[in-house]
Amino acid sequence: MKRLVVMTVLLALLLGPFGLIAGAQEGEPIRIGLQGPMTGDYAYEGQGFEKAVRLLVDKVNEEGGLLGRPVELVVEDDAGDPTQSALVADRLIDAGVIAVIGAYNSTATEPASEIYNEEGILHITPSSTATRLTEKGFERFFRVCFLDDRQALFAVLAMRDVLGAERIGILHDNSTYAAGLAEWTRTYAEEYGLEVAFYDAINPDDQDFTPILTNIGQADLDVVYFTGYHAQGGLLLRQTADLGLDIQWMMGNASNNPEMVEIAGVEAAAGTFITTEPLPQDLEYPEAVEFVEMFTEAYGEPPASVWWLLAAEAFNVIAHAIEETESTDPGVLAEYLHEDFKDYPGLSGPIIGFDEKGDRLGTIHALYQIDEEGVIAYYPEQPQPQSEE
Amino acid sequence: METFLQQLINGLTIGGFYAVVALGYTMVYGVLKLINFAHGDMFMWGTLAGWGLLTTVLAGLTDLDLAAILAAAVLVMAFIGVMGMTIERVAYRPLRSAGRLSPIISALGAAFVLQSVARNVSDARWRTYPPGLLKELPNLRLTGSVSVSGLQVLMLLVCVAIMVGLYLFVQRTRIGTAMRAVSLDHNVSRLMGINVDRIISLVFMIGPALGGLAGLLIGIYYGSFNFTLGWVFGLKAFIAAILGGIGNIPGAVLGGFILGISETMVVAYGPNVGLADASAWKDAIAYVLLIAILIARPTGLLGETVAEKV
Repeated sequence: MKRLVVMTVLLALLLGPFGLIAGAQEGEPIRIGLQGPMTGDYAYEGQGFEKAVRLLVDKVNEEGGLLGRPVELVVEDDAGDPTQSALVADRLIDAGVIAVIGAYNSTATEPASEIYNEEGILHITPSSTATRLTEKGFERFFRVCFLDDRQALFAVLAMRDVLGAERIGILHDNSTYAAGLAEWTRTYAEEYGLEVAFYDAINPDDQDFTPILTNIGQADLDVVYFTGYHAQGGLLLRQTADLGLDIQWMMGNASNNPEMVEIAGVEAAAGTFITTEPLPQDLEYPEAVEFVEMFTEAYGEPPASVWWLLAAEAFNVIAHAIEETESTDPGVLAEYLHEDFKDYPGLSGPIIGFDEKGDRLGTIHALYQIDEEGVIAYYPEQPQPQSEE
Repeated sequence: METFLQQLINGLTIGGFYAVVALGYTMVYGVLKLINFAHGDMFMWGTLAGWGLLTTVLAGLTDLDLAAILAAAVLVMAFIGVMGMTIERVAYRPLRSAGRLSPIISALGAAFVLQSVARNVSDARWRTYPPGLLKELPNLRLTGSVSVSGLQVLMLLVCVAIMVGLYLFVQRTRIGTAMRAVSLDHNVSRLMGINVDRIISLVFMIGPALGGLAGLLIGIYYGSFNFTLGWVFGLKAFIAAILGGIGNIPGAVLGGFILGISETMVVAYGPNVGLADASAWKDAIAYVLLIAILIARPTGLLGETVAEKV
């Protein structure tokens, strides 16, 4: 690793005269990186990131670019894998980017954020919600999504107040993100008077979860909250039905994907709750409606996942900061985002601002349920927000 | 007791799949002393080919009844069988006299080629089989809350039939006898008038064809898959083959079932012995057990007691 860093620095020094100095000239493109899983389990999301961001980059360039310079999007594939993520980060730095959007999953974002921090690059993740990512004091790392603990609190309130649950189970998949969300859910559940009678993890490489499902079926739970990803979520639902078990499932936002219903089968998926950021088409803000229309026109279907919209959001935040500060220096941009970026009309609702750690303020989670047709539908009853201490 | 029965059935189902895939490893090792790392990915290709057939060609022709599934099974077995023979011809035969390391690397190479092509063919996404395949099979309620789906029973029966059929084929037929001879000594077999190359080709057709069939069954049973399936299942099946005594057909079956059942029982009874999050520890505990078994019997459970190797 050390050697890799040294090599990168040497390479940067060598290429400096060509990359950095030339980059400052008029008319040279402003390079913005996008890293995400273009292949692998989460390829669907990564490819959606690219579609969404590319749309806005093209629009900005048609309108004359930023500060009179065109914007060039540099896309790299990390396959959702932490090892590949570090390599991708080095490649983007070599390409001379001033800011990076990505990665999708927290496991891949974590190693990349260390590298961008060392190199002083502005880094915004659209979708990595593990709490500890912003606990490291990185001054140029931000996120436009909301933290795991916000979603955990929301899920606990939904289980207690909307479903009337008393005995709950929590299941995660040992990934950075899912384990973090599960841990926060347990903390809030105990604080708000729910009994956590089951707490365990699956191995996401497995195909068969019948042993643990048999255990869950025995535990007499009111609801089980699964915090992992949609492929395993779909298998869990399908095998629950195959075993003839009566389990009320609630899934976290990583399972908020129509592919989960496809994997489970409509019959097995119906009735499952999902806590998530609202789906793109359920957002009523004019900026959101306009973006969804633009996306639908370009690609023939609306954005399937909220993370695509948040990737576009991240690009807008960077573009706005560049225009307001008239600078492409990552340090200046980061300082602006911390200090002066307030009440921006975002695609996913007003961005009140970022706190000192780089986390977005506020919350927008909502409760959904998969209906009889397999559609992930906005649930009419939503938990009332609690005032946080 | 009811829970135990249910978990035993769960474990048997998982173990049955491990066992069928393990057969392919053990047959090839028997005749060539080669660990065919591409086997897991050929098995995954069976799932992929079945998906391709059932969602395109066969979906257009029929309403996906039993006949369509049987047709898919025959086509998948033929396709994966030819794939196995081709890989042997291209990647292994030229290296047969090159020592033991080169063929293993060549096998790993073949595995990665198969996996990469599958990744591109499937767009790296989770792919789903058409819903409702064989759903008309009834659920069997054994006692109280224990239920076995008809599909589970069918899978188990097919797995057992494959194993018994293969065992009888190797033990009772002339070709089977030739296979056993080749596994003992290539040169002497040649002196006896056995066409060694043809026998090896045959092994590379039968093993992968059975693996491909298991792949199709997995697709029907779990309903969805992605291209990494072969790596995970292949590894587990490989371990099952070693556990039972590699080169030994009943051993591979025994190893598969032991692995599937022990994984399941760790999850089932971990909480009873104070391990609340047993599922998270499942693999660690199951493999510690396996290491212990191998230390006690380094050649695997049936590695010494049965003389015939295939």
